[in-house]
Amino acid sequence: MNDDDLTRLLKQHATRHPADERLRAAVRTQMTLQAAAQEAPPARPSWRERLASLTRIHPLLAGSGGLALGAALTMAAVLIAPRLTPDGPLPDELVAAHVRALQVGPLYEVASSDRHTVKPWFQGRLDYAPTVLELDSPLRDQGFTLLGGRVQSVQGRPTAALVYQVRLHKIDLYQWPVDRGAAPETLQRRGFNLVRWSDGAMQYWAVSDVDGAELQRFASAWRTAAAAH
Amino acid sequence: MTDVRRFEATVLPLLDVAHNLARWLLRDAATAEDAVQEAALRAFRYFGSLRGGEDAKPWFLGIVRNACFTALARERGRADVTLLDEDAWDRLEAQSPSPMPDPLAALGTRREQLLVDAALRALSPPMREVIVLRELEGLDYRDIAQVAGIPIGTVMSRLSRARAQLKRQLSLAGLP
Repeated sequence: MNDDDLTRLLKQHATRHPADERLRAAVRTQMTLQAAAQEAPPARPSWRERLASLTRIHPLLAGSGGLALGAALTMAAVLIAPRLTPDGPLPDELVAAHVRALQVGPLYEVASSDRHTVKPWFQGRLDYAPTVLELDSPLRDQGFTLLGGRVQSVQGRPTAALVYQVRLHKIDLYQWPVDRGAAPETLQRRGFNLVRWSDGAMQYWAVSDVDGAELQRFASAWRTAAAAH
Repeated sequence: MTDVRRFEATVLPLLDVAHNLARWLLRDAATAEDAVQEAALRAFRYFGSLRGGEDAKPWFLGIVRNACFTALARERGRADVTLLDEDAWDRLEAQSPSPMPDPLAALGTRREQLLVDAALRALSPPMREVIVLRELEGLDYRDIAQVAGIPIGTVMSRLSRARAQLKRQLSLAGLP
């Protein structure tokens, strides 16, 4: 048998695995959701566009099941009712990102309970080095386990998101560089709690469906651990 | 929205190739679909990094193969039937004794498919990768090098080792 015989055999007989319709639909749905999230939030005159993009989601739903429907409706709620607050649409965007990660995934792109795996994973994916806390920190003693991390588009920029678990709840912790410190502050959006604070180098936002007191406990455990880090 | 349109036009048509590659690299359909979805989402996020005029095919397939090898690494430690499915191979050998010539023509096509697929599965993932890209998808060496992130020389040596192994195994099975 020579190379040409082999090529012929492979071409004729090897099984091909084309993408099926379900996969295509899932990819398109994911893409539409991502595009909706990436759309610069302050661009308010684009109501028409937003509505148009929502109706464009619709035909895709047929092939991609209730999960996508749920996510699409979530996005619809976020897009249709942007609340104007001092933080602008940011808290809504973070909650939407959290919900989408939970529903559509991936919740984390690097899985680990060891910061020595998670932290290096961010290298080359971000233009800053996020703070990653897990071992040797009081966080774990207080029941907060690091599940992993992912890069999340926040306000159109690649942003570090760490995922912690407490009991059955997931906590997303987003962080990006800032140059001003700020004391913790608690917000609520659609039943989700958010705590934001800054240590003068990084702005942190924690988002979760755990109750507000628990999330504040997480924030204060994080601040303590980071200070000792 | 123009970015979405451009993405739809350039990347979505590559989903067949992407899925074929993923399915050949990973052990089951679900993992392959996950890898393709993950790759598509990542490609969409970083679509801006694709320069105007640059061929999207090797760029996107590179993202897909990275997602696949990440998934493979995640599964390392578990028994991997994709790497070497000995049982299936033994069963095949028993069912289709190679000295038999043509009388089983009815079974012919199916049997050849089984043998070829089994031989492909027996390759290590890096060798399977270059063979699938070259022989099934017809990519040239340069594109394969870009997808796999290896020098062209390595592409050629891997291809030649993979071909040698395939020829050996298929000849043993009585093909062509």
